[in-house]
Amino acid sequence: MTTTAQIPLTIIEPEKTSKRWRGLSRALVAYSFLIPWLIGFLGLTLGPTLASLYLSFTNFDLLQDPQVIGLANYQRIFTNDAKFWHSMQVTFTYVILAVPLKLAFALGLAMVLNRGIAGLPLYRALFYLPSLLGASVAIAVLWRQLFAKDGLVNVVLGFFGFAGPSWISDPSYSLYTLVLLSVWQFGSPMIIFLAGLRQIPPDVYEAASIDGANKVQQFIKITLPLLTPVVFFNFIVQTIDAFKAFTPAFIISEGTGGPIDSTLFYTLYLYQEGFAYFRMGYASALAWILLIIIACFTAFSFLTSRYWVHYND
Amino acid sequence: MTHDFDRRTLLKAALGSAGLAALGSVPAFAQDSRIRLYWWGSKERSDRTLKAVSLYQDRNAGVKIDGETLAWGDYWPRLATQAAGRNAPDLIQMDYRYVAEYARRGALLPLDEFVGKSLDISDFDKASLDSCKVDGKLYGINLGNNSNAMIYNKAAFQKAGVAEPIDVTWDKFFELAAAVTKAHNGEYYGTSDGSGEESPYENWLRQRGKALFTEDGKLGLDEKDATDWFAMWAKARETKACPPADLQALDKNNIETNLLTQGRAACAFNHSNQYVGYQVLNKNPLGITMYPQGAGPSPGHYLKPSMMWSIYARTKVAEPVVKFANFTVKDVEGAKLLGVERGVPASPKIREAVSADLDAMGKLVVDFISHVTPKVGPIPPAPPKGAGEIQTMLRRIAEQVSFGRVSVADGGKQYVSEAQAILSRA
Amino acid sequence: MTDTTTVATTPNVSGGRSLLYHVILCGVSLIMLYPLLWMLASSFKPDDEIFGNASLWPETFTIDAYIRGWSGLTVSFGTFFWNSLVIAVLSVIGNVFSCSLAAYAFARLKFPLKNFWFALMLGTLMLPYHVTLIPQYVLFLNLDWVNTFLPLVVPKFLAADAFFIFLLYQFFRGIPRELDEAAIIDGAGPWRIFWSVMLPLSIPALATAAIFTFIWTWDDFFGPLIYLNDASQYTVQLGLRTFVDSTGKSDWSALFAMSVVALIPVLLFFAVFQRLLIEGIATTGLKG
Repeated sequence: MTTTAQIPLTIIEPEKTSKRWRGLSRALVAYSFLIPWLIGFLGLTLGPTLASLYLSFTNFDLLQDPQVIGLANYQRIFTNDAKFWHSMQVTFTYVILAVPLKLAFALGLAMVLNRGIAGLPLYRALFYLPSLLGASVAIAVLWRQLFAKDGLVNVVLGFFGFAGPSWISDPSYSLYTLVLLSVWQFGSPMIIFLAGLRQIPPDVYEAASIDGANKVQQFIKITLPLLTPVVFFNFIVQTIDAFKAFTPAFIISEGTGGPIDSTLFYTLYLYQEGFAYFRMGYASALAWILLIIIACFTAFSFLTSRYWVHYND
Repeated sequence: MTHDFDRRTLLKAALGSAGLAALGSVPAFAQDSRIRLYWWGSKERSDRTLKAVSLYQDRNAGVKIDGETLAWGDYWPRLATQAAGRNAPDLIQMDYRYVAEYARRGALLPLDEFVGKSLDISDFDKASLDSCKVDGKLYGINLGNNSNAMIYNKAAFQKAGVAEPIDVTWDKFFELAAAVTKAHNGEYYGTSDGSGEESPYENWLRQRGKALFTEDGKLGLDEKDATDWFAMWAKARETKACPPADLQALDKNNIETNLLTQGRAACAFNHSNQYVGYQVLNKNPLGITMYPQGAGPSPGHYLKPSMMWSIYARTKVAEPVVKFANFTVKDVEGAKLLGVERGVPASPKIREAVSADLDAMGKLVVDFISHVTPKVGPIPPAPPKGAGEIQTMLRRIAEQVSFGRVSVADGGKQYVSEAQAILSRA
Repeated sequence: MTDTTTVATTPNVSGGRSLLYHVILCGVSLIMLYPLLWMLASSFKPDDEIFGNASLWPETFTIDAYIRGWSGLTVSFGTFFWNSLVIAVLSVIGNVFSCSLAAYAFARLKFPLKNFWFALMLGTLMLPYHVTLIPQYVLFLNLDWVNTFLPLVVPKFLAADAFFIFLLYQFFRGIPRELDEAAIIDGAGPWRIFWSVMLPLSIPALATAAIFTFIWTWDDFFGPLIYLNDASQYTVQLGLRTFVDSTGKSDWSALFAMSVVALIPVLLFFAVFQRLLIEGIATTGLKG
């Protein structure tokens, strides 16, 4: 620093403090928005989360006090647990198939439902219905009637001369029926896409149609870029959900993961370990491994998002 | 609104939890006995239980019993969570499969000290008492006995013009079943495939002098036993006595997806107390009989508690809880309110009193138990830790065999080695 | 774009195309509708016809299941509806309120540790709830909240479900920043911008959050299963599950009858709020 810089310093000083003050008050205002979440996070979420991390280093059978066993759970998972690798494989297959299909389906129908034709509210409600039913027994029954050996799907295939297998109960195919179940319950991403489509200002379309862009060009040049924040959201959330998928297998296989563990999702395996076999410490270790996988995936997605997600800010 | 937005709650919420943990569960009325009673089951069970509760409360001022009921599948996660939080209900309806798991981990109260005092079960026969013991201590009060039972569609056998499968050998059974399949042009099978189900497996093992587990918690069978079992069913699949793998795999181990209920097979392997559950979902009249028998003299059956009362180890009201439990199994009026819905009562006096006003279905079940009782063997020792996992594993290997993923011999081998691995881990 | 008040729809499609759309949509709807039809049919059947008979049309038609279902349990189904409604409505209010606050802070404001908190917030989405269940139960037990609605409602007021923060965050970031800047020039602070710029412009997103919160709370059974003990506090989903016990005698037709009835509030809520979802921009306009 030269002397010339020292002289103005005394003049700048008060301005700096006020700048700091402004920064502080800005931070305070920001934190005032965050307060409910912070209280919830620190008071309700963080404790149990850390507790489960601790339990992952213990032998905890739910009923007796946990005993610390160091890394033994993790060691067993990676060296001596065929079911871990198997359920990972099942889950990854599910994620890779279900997420893109479901998103494509949801976006396609959201586009269709964003048009001005009669009876749309009714269609929207109907399309959302499968998601409303959640984990109802009725869904299990429907899936059986569709995908059993003498199910509707095979009746249709038989019409074309194919004799299909018993999709739902054959271990070679049962996972794919769960993928279809996930696609069928496309209601939530569809609604989010719809909300995103509604937020696109109409005048950009007007400008485009003056420019003579056709429907496909409009979609690629205008709709899709403006929709990328929503696409990004749906992609992240659906992928996380698919990694944690539990309910579909629970409805269809009654929690067994059968036949022959073909639908043994990772979370289902973890649930069995924790609640059916009283190994909550082991289940916690499994859960934290999943968390790390999901976190890596999410971080990667955020890193790439700057290249394809267009925000207005 | 039923929120407890009282000041204490808000104060504790504001101050955070850690330091105030000790205040956790101060009973609202210290002078009264407040009992939390927990059971799984149907609406009928609920109605019966609550009637018994209200009669008991009328007779015993100062005792307040809160009933909590859920379905089987939801029951266990909640119990496990509450027990982990040291907040389980005082009186717990317990299943034979879980009693050892909970007792050995110290969650249940040994009841020996109450016997002969507030718990008057002296007229229970030895088997009904032993079946509620774990490692020599009494952890349950028998709420009724049941036994393995095969439930079958009478009309299907009539249509085939063959005898009903009453007290037959396995060979004869598969013969009859194949005839039923044939009479229905292969669209309806004589029996469901029981190779993945533990109860016929255990029965069959006992018929050849083996067991699932030994006294000291080791595996009670060898590779040949397991292989023979899978081979027997493989042959049944060949003769079409039982359905192919992809049809059987639709069965999710509950009444509503069982192939008998689904109208796809004529026989289901189950327990006597579930007969009513099957009958209400089936249009055809159902029969109930013993499992098929082996060459040896023992039919393999045993009486076991369909369920029992267990008491939470940390209960603060042990004495009042025992008294209420006693009321439901030994007081004629109390026991009559419960009926045979939970199983056939262990006390001869109560059984007689209850049998007086049974409906036809209930009578059928009681008659079945009377028919089985002279033939039963001793109850096996409480299963070791890991038994539940082995049960799931049996189903998986049976499916691997039936889908042709592994050979019969490899299936037997795999069963034994996996079972040993599970037992050594637990 | 400041004076746009029209709905962002493409113009009506022509007659022939419209017919084609209806045919496709009806086809898709049918697959969507089937479980409901099956449920409806089963609710009018006697129990011994439900599983053995695949036909939708009941051989024996009875409305007995509705009567039995509504008042057959020791506690009337009306109580379950009331409990579910209280929990769901409070959850909607809590979630929309607390999550939009947090989402605004993350989307628009600058503050120290922002990325750190944001990462943690997303992180809470990633752990399977089965392993935090027991520690959480112990926490609520120590707060003396078990057997009240508090464990089900309070977290909603504290933005515990990061899904909604993230959802609103994405939508807020999609709103042009010029609008904030215009408001700042007018002298508005963050709270005023939040209230009079962000919220009005985000009606579709807020409606989405409200719809999901209502439906998911209504459908949730695991939370109520763990935290509510007394039948008088049970929610609809818990009540439904007491009809059926896979190990014994169950009342399936009553289950299906009450399942049908239980769909009505959800459908009504959806019908009302989807209007906001669609008309949001039209009615509020994009006034900067």
